[in-house]
Amino acid sequence: MAETTTIEGVTEAINRAAVEARSHGEPAWLAQRRAHAWSVYESLPLPTTRREEWRYTDLRRVLDLDALHLGSTEAGPDDPSSYPERLRATMNEDHEAAGHLVFIDGAVVHTDIRDDLASLGVILMPLRQAVREHPELVESHLATEAVPPEEGKFAALNAALWSDGVFLYVPRGVRLDNPVRVTRWISEAGAAFFSRTLIVAESTSQVSYVDEILSDDFDTQTLASAAVEVITRDGAQVQYVSLQRMGRGAFYQSKQRTLAGRDSTLDTLNVTLGASVSRVDLNARLMGPGANSDMLGLYFGDDDQHFDHNTSQDHEAPSARSDLLYKGALDGHARAAFRGIIRVHEGAQQTDAYQTNRNLLLSEHARADSLPNLEIEADDVKCSHGSTVGQLDDDHLFYLMSRGLSREKAERLVVVGFLGEVMSRLPLGGVVEKVTRAIAEKLRA
Amino acid sequence: MPQNEVIQGLELDEYKYGFVDEEKHVFRTQPGLSEEVVRQISAQKEEPEWMLEFRLKALQIYESKPMPTWGGDLSKLEETLDEIYFYVRPQDRMERSWDDVPENIKNTFERLGIPEAEQKVLAGVGAQYESEMVYHSLKEEWESKGVIFDSIEDGLKNHPELFRKYFGTVIPSADNKFSAMNSAVWSGGSFVYIPKGVELETPLQAYFRVNQERMGQFERTLIIADEGSRAHYIEGCTAPTYSTESFHSGVIEIVVNRGAHFRYTTIQNWSNNMYNLVTQRALVHEHATMEWLDGNLGSKLTMKYPSCYLVGEGAHGNILSIAYAGDGQHQDTGGKVIHAAPRTTSSIVSKSISKGTGRSSYRGLCKVYDGAVGAKSNVECDALLINETSRTDTYPYIEIEEKRSNIGHEATVSKVGDEQLFYLMSRGMSEEEAMALIVRGFIEPIAKQLPLEYAVELNRLIELEMEGSVG
Amino acid sequence: MAEWVRVAAVEDCPPGEFRALAAGRQRIVLCNVEGDFHVLEDRCSHEDLPLSNGDLEGSEFLCIHHGARFDVCSGRALCLPAIRPVKTFPVEVRDGDVFVLAG
Repeated sequence: MAETTTIEGVTEAINRAAVEARSHGEPAWLAQRRAHAWSVYESLPLPTTRREEWRYTDLRRVLDLDALHLGSTEAGPDDPSSYPERLRATMNEDHEAAGHLVFIDGAVVHTDIRDDLASLGVILMPLRQAVREHPELVESHLATEAVPPEEGKFAALNAALWSDGVFLYVPRGVRLDNPVRVTRWISEAGAAFFSRTLIVAESTSQVSYVDEILSDDFDTQTLASAAVEVITRDGAQVQYVSLQRMGRGAFYQSKQRTLAGRDSTLDTLNVTLGASVSRVDLNARLMGPGANSDMLGLYFGDDDQHFDHNTSQDHEAPSARSDLLYKGALDGHARAAFRGIIRVHEGAQQTDAYQTNRNLLLSEHARADSLPNLEIEADDVKCSHGSTVGQLDDDHLFYLMSRGLSREKAERLVVVGFLGEVMSRLPLGGVVEKVTRAIAEKLRA
Repeated sequence: MPQNEVIQGLELDEYKYGFVDEEKHVFRTQPGLSEEVVRQISAQKEEPEWMLEFRLKALQIYESKPMPTWGGDLSKLEETLDEIYFYVRPQDRMERSWDDVPENIKNTFERLGIPEAEQKVLAGVGAQYESEMVYHSLKEEWESKGVIFDSIEDGLKNHPELFRKYFGTVIPSADNKFSAMNSAVWSGGSFVYIPKGVELETPLQAYFRVNQERMGQFERTLIIADEGSRAHYIEGCTAPTYSTESFHSGVIEIVVNRGAHFRYTTIQNWSNNMYNLVTQRALVHEHATMEWLDGNLGSKLTMKYPSCYLVGEGAHGNILSIAYAGDGQHQDTGGKVIHAAPRTTSSIVSKSISKGTGRSSYRGLCKVYDGAVGAKSNVECDALLINETSRTDTYPYIEIEEKRSNIGHEATVSKVGDEQLFYLMSRGMSEEEAMALIVRGFIEPIAKQLPLEYAVELNRLIELEMEGSVG
Repeated sequence: MAEWVRVAAVEDCPPGEFRALAAGRQRIVLCNVEGDFHVLEDRCSHEDLPLSNGDLEGSEFLCIHHGARFDVCSGRALCLPAIRPVKTFPVEVRDGDVFVLAG
């Protein structure tokens, strides 16, 4: 077993005392919430593979919570020249942004927010700062409507121990033409990090958000846990993109929920390329009539990477639409599970809901599990789902090779084309190029 | 405990023609399940020691397993199980009189035009079925070919080695809670052996041979189709089957040896008080084909997922499933295909209809093991919703470990289209007629696979069910 | 990397019995079949569930979850619903202690 190590004089096991330490200096409501979340955490057993949602990820085998210590929350200097090379490289690829926050381990080190945002009433700041400066907004939305601790073991742990995150509030009618960008870098091996994202888009506002997490490889297991809450009011439009490019040895876990109001558009894209184990839970609730969610996912695993995506589309109001497309390619001994469910609740007539999961197995030893589920309690609906698992199309490859491409090049082209379909549906500035390059790097490796 | 009512075991002669006489013996165990009950069943059947041990072990497993929390609502089942009799000797079940049969069931019989004698069998009050003569001539033909088509009890008595070699190997007791229960208290069902190379034109119908026994609550069937043979087995019927018992849990094990072709057809139309929890599984060897045709029309809750374990190269599995869930019914059905050898192929086609407050759920598994090179599987599920209150679910599990395989799953949900209805009504049909026509068209791909008399009856049944579906 | 790990004393697991143990991070089932030790991975090959909830019957291990059986010596699957073998590990007795090669 790994010893709990001491870094910069801070040694913290994951326990109630740590929760109390985190609460230090925080308002009473937040301290109470953390304490409550910890109680929920303690009352819930670690899910086993007998639980449907954990059928393909045996936490007993892939995660050793006791061996982890709490990650450092001390902010380093805001000096981009001292950033790790991969972090600098990815920041260089970023296009123009309405605002940019950079986190290293558990703390924000850099904020660069466009001057006009404040005059528009937009709030974009680290979550801790928002707790101090906008307590009423944060208190009513943080871990309440979207990802409360009762959602599960990880949601509870995150709500108890989050160290920082981002709060974005866009007032009624305000439209931001450039995306908000957040970049997180994790460096401390053997540590556990908990972050939260809270996005509230008031009616008819518009914003897009790119959340990227990276690290080098770790020699001991390192946990990055995220809770993401996105709320759109009537007629608002939000695009949320998550890029996960952590190194091996990382255990990445993200719990996301989107709440879409009347006639709003709330699209998400989850790109999973890194970490040894990655688990993403995404629940889209279509709560207002006419709400619309495109839910996109893309994953590419190799070596012994283990990806698990668990999605749900809850149609609670009539005339809403959701369309999910998750595509993945798997090489080496990689394994991916996709479990998705469309729930059309009673009275949600004129629902259009679709769900597609497609997998490409590139190696003899890769494995894909797919569970696309439907639960329909209204009759006037259009619902379908499809799932396929296959290999590279030989005819397609031969055609490309007959045009003079090497087999490797042809394969790369087909894989990029296969996965590219997903990004073409959410062509946010810079993301497509960045992901395409990352996939190409993996294919070359 | 009805000690005084215990009688000696059945003479083999009584089973000779597949029908029991009408002697008024009464034997049944006390309500609920216990070791004592299991011992009594085994003693009553004069079983060898190994079977008693098998049953007792299964009872332990049953008791250790929790009630499933997935599938249908089983929360009320525990009470039901405390009250039911786990063993009633077949001939003792006919104490009901025709007057006890509910009016709605009688009406349906009338409207389906089912002959009176057959009505009584279906309602569990008659003794024999008219097709005795038909059965006799078939039985001679089968015997001359070496086919064994016995009750499961006779299978154990008359073919002990063959029986023991296969019994419980396809579906172990511990497979699930209800296979464990069945393994402890099984009674009734068929034992079938089709010798090498024998091809049977006429389907083996459980309907012919047994009468009350096929109503067995814990039916157990073991079928071995030897190399290169070809046969079709049919159980159940489309007409409503009335039983005062409210629980049925069968286990059907089938072994399809190299090159054989076996089809198993079930149509169940149990009355709406019935929990119908059945485990059906086939082990399919090289170049053999197994086909399940599964129709679920009745019961309160059915949970049944016929499966094909394709363990030999080139084995093929085919599952056709049709479910109809009317008011208060839940059909949780589907199919499983497991590809464990190269070039195995499979197909699952599921069609379901939900009407009123009915709920139909497709639950299925397609698994391809590493090494099953060239495996191909295709799953299609279509659900039709008739009313606003109807519900449908689809829960497919797709687990693929082999790159050189080709797997697809598709599902659609739709309601009966207004345009379609409008068109048919403009041609002079009533709305109900139009609805029945659309539903018939929807299930046609499966209905056409049924023997004619079943298909005809199924169609008439749908017309009846569609009455009152409109407005 | 695999290494020899002491998992139990010989008398901790008498003949006919089994123990669920950890060898490093590896969860295993140590089985004593008439004085001979055998080690299986504590994970059924049918579904990702612990074998150790089941039972050792002679030289067969019964997985209680769905009734699969495995040969304790070779790990071979003996009946449906299992098809694939479970992983086995080398085991040795040294001075009254049981060592397993796992990693």
